[in-house]
Amino acid sequence: MSGPAVVACTWGVATSDIEELLTLGRTVAGSLGGELRWLVLGALPEGATDTAGRFGVGGVDHIEDAKLGTSGSDAYVAALAQYCTDSTPQLLLFNQTFQVRDAAPRLAARLGVGIVMNGIAIEQDGGTLRVTASAFGGDTRTVYDLAGATPQLVSVSANAVAPEAAATATNPEVRKVAVDLGAVEERVRVVTPPKREGPRLEDAQTIVAGGRGLADAANFKLVEELAAALGGVAGASRPIVDDGWADPSQQVGLTGKITRPGLYIAAGISGASQHMVGCSAAKTIVAINTDPDAAIFKHARYGLVGDCLEILPELTRAAKAR
Amino acid sequence: MNNYALVGRLVIGDDGKTLTQTSIPRLMNAYDEQAIEAALRFRDAGTECTIAVVCAGAESGDVLKHAAAMGADEIVSIPIEATTVDYHVMGDLLAAYVQSSGGADLVLCGRQASDDDQGVVPAILAERLDMPLVSIAREVALTDGGGVRVTRVTPDGDEIVECAGPAIVTISNELGTPRYPTMAKRMQARKKQPTVVEVASLGLADTALQPRVTLTKQFVPTVQSSCQMIEGASAAELADALVAKLREENVL
Repeated sequence: MSGPAVVACTWGVATSDIEELLTLGRTVAGSLGGELRWLVLGALPEGATDTAGRFGVGGVDHIEDAKLGTSGSDAYVAALAQYCTDSTPQLLLFNQTFQVRDAAPRLAARLGVGIVMNGIAIEQDGGTLRVTASAFGGDTRTVYDLAGATPQLVSVSANAVAPEAAATATNPEVRKVAVDLGAVEERVRVVTPPKREGPRLEDAQTIVAGGRGLADAANFKLVEELAAALGGVAGASRPIVDDGWADPSQQVGLTGKITRPGLYIAAGISGASQHMVGCSAAKTIVAINTDPDAAIFKHARYGLVGDCLEILPELTRAAKAR
Repeated sequence: MNNYALVGRLVIGDDGKTLTQTSIPRLMNAYDEQAIEAALRFRDAGTECTIAVVCAGAESGDVLKHAAAMGADEIVSIPIEATTVDYHVMGDLLAAYVQSSGGADLVLCGRQASDDDQGVVPAILAERLDMPLVSIAREVALTDGGGVRVTRVTPDGDEIVECAGPAIVTISNELGTPRYPTMAKRMQARKKQPTVVEVASLGLADTALQPRVTLTKQFVPTVQSSCQMIEGASAAELADALVAKLREENVL
């Protein structure tokens, strides 16, 4: 095997996501006894060389092409397939974004190789790659053995590992990698791009999220008011998004946003695993629920047993009082 | 299946990797049900079409009868032992079926399975059939040229895309609640027998039926609880105590 042990592939994700992926990649490369490379598709993130060095990357491979940068996956799949053929890596890691959810399995099909999504841990056991993933909306963990041709692919869940710089920094070089995307015509055409409104939940330092305990669509404003008072962002559980009380872009959880705020206040949310997937990386979770046995209290740092309809306005008042 | 009903009730079987029948009912994946709903809405809107629902695996009878009761014209079973099927094998089987049955104008799938959450089969199917893939749809409309116009639920908000047909579209829960068949339709569907397509008849190479990914273990993770309950006689007291605590800990 002449290629690198592990290649961490990224595009369009935040530095914190990249640092997580490089941390996991470095550990796995170590257990495989090989090199970690970082493949960037599209523009190089700011400070890429510095990040790569701190996280122990052996080298940065950079693919830039005008055909990348769309929401379609045709160009990404073609670029990655060419890269894999030329560089013969053993393992490819991705940050799981909605685009990677399309591109990585397509790449797996094109190369005829194994793939696991929602990965949270990777180990090497006597020549077998073993991947632990989250399943049943976070209720269970599944362990998969991967066999057959390389590279094997793992799409890694946000917050799977805590970023940790390498004990010894490296001095990686950026290598331009040429791919030929001349034959690629993106088949899916964007008619209306998404309109991102307000700050992103993924980047928020403070999130106040509401669930069915709000009892009525009109009460979602109590969540928004507390979020505003704390300088944070309002979020929602899937049941109330399904009911139309909040916008899908506000949904926290497995099929919504994966967040990592400093403070997460969950009001009237029972704490189903699907929801906790989206907020369990918060530094401090506060739970407000009428049911003292609600699952959310198991995950929370602070618990308030009571009606969120009464407590939310009081919290808004207390937060504004200095 | 509806995961909200399952919290805390999942029991791993003696094999250490699959869930027991009592803790998990054998129902159609809810996202797949929504994919069938999306197909039925075309017919409701007057589109002339044949809707076939295909299921590869063991014991797919009840799932397919539910599809028939919802309104599927054809139900197709590809019997295969579930333990020998990974996503590649599943993608290859479904692709081979679509090709052997004369192709499809549109392939609709649920965005992911609500048990393993992997969601890779539609992408593999798209590669095998060389069709464009449009994922996480809340709405699918047909365009004049036989293509589709899809509203996707992206993390940044709704995105509207178009592509030529035939295409693979995966359906997300935002499509809305699937119809529940009437008693009469369920009775009718009970008599409907699925068309059985044997794996051997699909002409797949042995290598295509070789799984690359094997589930070896499944477990329920434990949560270490460290919750401190805030005390207070009223909502105002609880709120003041919490805010004081968060300020003391420099969280606020």
